[in-house]
Amino acid sequence: MTKILLQGNQAIAQAAVKAGLQFFAGYPITPASEILHELVNEKTVKLLQMEDEIASINAIIGASLAGAKSMTATSGPGFSLMQESIGLAHMMEVPLVVVDVQRVGPSTGMPTLPAQGDVMQCKYGSHGDYFPIVFYPNSVDELYQYTFHAFNAAEESLSPVILLSDGYVGHLYETIEVKDYDKTERTLAPLGTSNRHFTGLTHEDSKPATSDPEIHKKLIHHLEEKQKLVSKKYNAYEYIENTSSNTLLIAYGALSRVTYHFKDDFAIYRPIRIFPMIKDIKKIAAHYKEIIVLEMNTGQYVNEVERLLHRKVHLVSILGGKIDLQDIWSKLKQIRREK
Amino acid sequence: MTKEITYLNYLKKERLPTQWCPGCGNGIVLKLVCLAMEKLNFSQKDTVIVSGIGCSGRSAGFFNLDSVHSVHGRAIPVAEGIKNANENLNVIVVSGDGDLLGIGGNHLLHASRRNTNISVVCIANSIYGMTGGQSSPTTEQGSRTLTAPQGSAETPIDVQSFLKAHHCYYARSTVFHFNHAEKCITESFQFKGLSFVEIKTQCITNDGRRRGFKNAYEMLISYKENYKINNKAEVLEHNEIGIIR
Repeated sequence: MTKILLQGNQAIAQAAVKAGLQFFAGYPITPASEILHELVNEKTVKLLQMEDEIASINAIIGASLAGAKSMTATSGPGFSLMQESIGLAHMMEVPLVVVDVQRVGPSTGMPTLPAQGDVMQCKYGSHGDYFPIVFYPNSVDELYQYTFHAFNAAEESLSPVILLSDGYVGHLYETIEVKDYDKTERTLAPLGTSNRHFTGLTHEDSKPATSDPEIHKKLIHHLEEKQKLVSKKYNAYEYIENTSSNTLLIAYGALSRVTYHFKDDFAIYRPIRIFPMIKDIKKIAAHYKEIIVLEMNTGQYVNEVERLLHRKVHLVSILGGKIDLQDIWSKLKQIRREK
Repeated sequence: MTKEITYLNYLKKERLPTQWCPGCGNGIVLKLVCLAMEKLNFSQKDTVIVSGIGCSGRSAGFFNLDSVHSVHGRAIPVAEGIKNANENLNVIVVSGDGDLLGIGGNHLLHASRRNTNISVVCIANSIYGMTGGQSSPTTEQGSRTLTAPQGSAETPIDVQSFLKAHHCYYARSTVFHFNHAEKCITESFQFKGLSFVEIKTQCITNDGRRRGFKNAYEMLISYKENYKINNKAEVLEHNEIGIIR
């Protein structure tokens, strides 16, 4: 076992290589560029710096179909550009890993300052119905570990898996234990071995294109069921029980690191696989009278939590990339006072 | 004994006839690509066809080999990813001018800088046919379209200059000049680096009829009348077809 000091973004790159990454295409963007830099000198990885993020995601789709485990990394603006082809990868069932190191948006926003504004973009960014698996670790060690899981889940589900990070965790330096986690081998036969037709059109084996609603329903159902099945293997969350508190805090990513300070006063639930949502939250939430979601946006995950639990959920919204313990504490107290 | 040259070996026969309109030129380009592959003995197992979106985007689905029908404009980066992941594959892009030169124009520009060893066959019908006949990047100046009823005011795109500057293969031909087009495509498949063959073809349904052509045959004959073969040219004029290496 080796202990090394690594930056969050470096951890993703190094873990990706260990997880079998063979092809990387990317475009420079703060705060994700270190992943590109870290991979440049890797001898086992074919790397292309593309002209934009659209080219990057499409190049990794091609490479993955041709048999190479592939990844790209970006931040919010680039992630937006990739959305159309993320839908394509779901439709064509191509295993990919897409890393999004979030920064303050919308638009150019505040580069390098962390935010969590892409949570909904992960789930609903592309058009049509698809069911992405999204991991959002909150430490360098977890980024390392979940990079492996992201690659494995992509192979198992034949779909693009999103590894969400943020400017804070991505640029964080921590000492971690470098381990080799399990690797799932490729099952999809590479291009040049058969006469398959990969298309973004609604399709069935014998029909490359169709306008039959039954075939479409069957296809979407298949995509959904497949994701449910695979994501069961990755029911990853952290729960810090507090029997003396009647309030549960829900946070993820950078902001969840701050909530540990409140564990004497509150219970804490931190989803790591943020989508599809982990159903265990229903049982956990039943023990608490109040639920507060803390997130670095104007309220994205809070709606998803409310929808799943069918009850009122409070929000602590942190905007502008500044995480201030005092500020969060006073917002929590205010919610308590209102009760 | 010379072997019999047929285009049928590379097509999924059960998918024929194609769904394209009567008089469409896309089928001719499909045949040209198959003949070039046949001549070069491309193995079905080592060849991949990639297409984008549009009428021509449907091409990939007809080939009896692994094929990818990507999103609009992104066939070239997909093809580059495939080639970079497996250099032994023959990677061929078959797509339209709107797809490759309009929405995907930037990818062609940069793929030519990288000079990735892929072959691009551009079905240039000078119109967005599938969406009803809007102006495309290769629409001739003055040509009437759905979105330019008074005639297109814009200069058609000319990609030969940067492809030549980046040491890529560029050739232009038409579906009327069948043998010339076949030569262009066959040579392009042998080229080491990025090759781009622009095949001018007709869309009677959403272009020709708006411009006064009675049928596809008249459009074909117009290629005979309007284009002169010049294989020695350094730069092809707008009414010339030929090969720039």
